[in-house]
Amino acid sequence: MGSMRRPAAPPISGKFCDDPVLDYKDTDNLRRFLTAHGQILSRKRTGYCTQCQKQLKQAVKRARHLALLPFVG
Amino acid sequence: MAQTYEGMFLLDNQVVREDWKKAKSIVTDLLKKHGAKLLCARRWDERRLAYTIRRHRRATYCLAYYEFPPAGIAALIRDLELNESVLRYLVLARDSVPAGELELAAAEDAADFTVPAPPPDDAPDSPSHGVRRREDGTEVDPDAPEGADLDGKLEAAPSGMET
Repeated sequence: MGSMRRPAAPPISGKFCDDPVLDYKDTDNLRRFLTAHGQILSRKRTGYCTQCQKQLKQAVKRARHLALLPFVG
Repeated sequence: MAQTYEGMFLLDNQVVREDWKKAKSIVTDLLKKHGAKLLCARRWDERRLAYTIRRHRRATYCLAYYEFPPAGIAALIRDLELNESVLRYLVLARDSVPAGELELAAAEDAADFTVPAPPPDDAPDSPSHGVRRREDGTEVDPDAPEGADLDGKLEAAPSGMET
């Protein structure tokens, strides 16, 4: 009999949508939403709504452009 | 109508080592040359880069806020591209200057403000830089596998999920 699927990990921040200010300069905060390889975590893992996930994506990409965060970890 | 912009400029540490004011003036003079009204400019940080840019491993970040007519932005960007001391730049339109920025820039302009000399290009960054932290502020073990800090919570769940 096959194993059951692992339950989803709890989202990192469910409260983010109340305070959607993500700045590309705040790299310590942005790193929380990256994998060890520098990839952006999925919305399922971050717990963000569509707009906030887009803000996160934009902030990470700006930080990568300025070499504050790596493209590949 | 003028629009407020935020500009982040990566400056070559070799120029910063000679004189910070001279390095800063590379950016401010360029902005003024194109008719920008400089609101504030300051040294944001000196960091090891996440990847090398033009064989530089470290660089100094200069953060500036200025008002600029949107029509002239293309000429400014062309000059930034041609300048060898500016390794990279990011220009963003902003509604206003964030609170506290003007005070920080004014503090830098004070006579007794000194900018520490940038370390050598191969120097490691400060231990706190790049440390991953959880929401409660505790550090994440860098050797831990990906997502281990999150998956750890699952281990506490009742067993018997697998058959």
